[in-house]
Amino acid sequence: MPIHEKSLIRPENLIEQDELVIDGIDVSGHWSTFITSRAVTDYNEAMQDEIAGLPGGEFIHRCWQCGSCTNACTINALNNDFNPRYWIYLIRMGMEDELLIDKDIIWQCVSCNKCTYACPRDVNPEGVMKATAHWLELKGHTPKSPSMIFDEGFSEQVFKTGKIEDGLVLRQFFAATGQKLTQTWLVSMVLGLVRRMPLTMLTRLGLATFFRPRTRNWGAARAAIDEYVNEKQAENNRLLGLDKMEDGR
Amino acid sequence: MSKPVLIVGSGPAGLSAAHSLASAGQEVVLVEKEDRLGGAPIISGYARLVPSREWAKDAIGGMVARVEENPLIKKHLNTTVDSFDGAPGAFTAKLKDGTKIDAGAAILCTGFTHFDSVNKPEWGFGTYEDVVTTTQVEQMLSSGSGIKCPSDGRKPERVAILLCVGSRDRQIGREWCSKICCTVSANIAMEIREELPDCNVYIYYMDIRTFGLYEGDFYWASQEEHKVKYIKARIAEVASDGKRLIVKGEDTLVKRPITIPFDMVVHAVGMDPNVDNMTLSAVFGVDLEKYGHIQKASTYAAMSETSRAGVFVAGAATGPETIDDSIAQGQSAAMAALSLVSSANKEAAE
Repeated sequence: MPIHEKSLIRPENLIEQDELVIDGIDVSGHWSTFITSRAVTDYNEAMQDEIAGLPGGEFIHRCWQCGSCTNACTINALNNDFNPRYWIYLIRMGMEDELLIDKDIIWQCVSCNKCTYACPRDVNPEGVMKATAHWLELKGHTPKSPSMIFDEGFSEQVFKTGKIEDGLVLRQFFAATGQKLTQTWLVSMVLGLVRRMPLTMLTRLGLATFFRPRTRNWGAARAAIDEYVNEKQAENNRLLGLDKMEDGR
Repeated sequence: MSKPVLIVGSGPAGLSAAHSLASAGQEVVLVEKEDRLGGAPIISGYARLVPSREWAKDAIGGMVARVEENPLIKKHLNTTVDSFDGAPGAFTAKLKDGTKIDAGAAILCTGFTHFDSVNKPEWGFGTYEDVVTTTQVEQMLSSGSGIKCPSDGRKPERVAILLCVGSRDRQIGREWCSKICCTVSANIAMEIREELPDCNVYIYYMDIRTFGLYEGDFYWASQEEHKVKYIKARIAEVASDGKRLIVKGEDTLVKRPITIPFDMVVHAVGMDPNVDNMTLSAVFGVDLEKYGHIQKASTYAAMSETSRAGVFVAGAATGPETIDDSIAQGQSAAMAALSLVSSANKEAAE
């Protein structure tokens, strides 16, 4: 039986088999197209708690689905599929598979916070978007975003030495994201610096590149920061059930 | 001395009317068809009441006690009114047990009847043991037996509460909103979450009518503090896979069919007109409104009046009503009855 209005069905929900025999009857061919059920057969009850446990997601259970956030949204104006109201609902009901369909656009939130001001329930939808993008990364559904890679390299350096060496941050970031160091904009910026900077500052900058300075007596501070970061990471893993997954491996 | 006021029914409205009249020194005759006073909250074994969360047996029990102790209130239990004749200030009522009562006025506080869920067979009540009503859950809570699936006594891990069972349903001739079930369901959901923190509770609704101040303490407290989930869906069918109940319907917010397994399904049953209303209407000569509740004569000018002079009405007899409003209406009817009998008394003296 051909399916009318096939365009309305998500392609992944259409099943066609070139060769299929059921009970001895050959039902091969495009006319024996099947549509998988759209029925929701269970709720993932942990999902709301997981998102609510991440920074920004705390007030997700306040949502009453009015759609003010989606209506106010900068990105929704450009892309109808970007729908915070809908994602909040999916999270609250634990419809994980449905949320994952949109995993590659959720991070596009530009944090303009128009939704935050529009929300009559103080859900903080911008925070929820942030928490959701974070959740997708922690769960391994999306690769680390460039900004996350940058943040990690940046923080790691601060934790280690108590200082930032900009050159190193850039070099590490470009290496980790597979980008050339000789970006045109970077080259012209460096050349501009060399041309305009006083010699003493240039010398200091150059020296810092080779002899990475450390904050004096940084050891104790570093230990405290490491302890806090580890604690937070363990907490996140526990919250998202990632610790159990690791134990099981 | 004026003639006593006849009060029919001893639920919140009747208890309140009786107490108010007696407090004003007026004699009262209270007729109750059950074997004890208290009405639905006591007879049906309600648990904690909305909105104070006091136990029904304490809150309504206290009202029962002060009526029982009051010598101005004469009680007739296990009986009903067979006939009621006369005119305002001089009525005569005959009870089923043969007692004759002279009354100056009457107040009908005859309440409601819980909707019988077998009238919605698609939702599984009477077919599956683990489909219960809000009244049954109230009893589980008030008796101290705890929340358990009736089929095997296990503690449920997931409970669905279906709203508007026997309300807002033209198919079965019940077009009214029963007013209290949304709030009662939110309250019950919180009770379940408190007793069984690992049990998730879902409320399936068409609209939520936790009106007035119930919005914060019930609708939002249930979601923000107790993580109760609300899903906009009118359930089509409750079935079973042999192990658990299967709730089928459409999640209208995501336009997706749902077939979700549950351990227990609770019907938030509505308030029907009292099954005795046809009889009451005939005996007392009062009109019923189109759904079968006792008709109020006026909304504003004269509270508590029925179509018959001298016969007043209060509480859920006139339509779905909350306990606290029933109590207020009981007092209002008491005031109306008191002015009638005292003026009749004055006229007699002149």
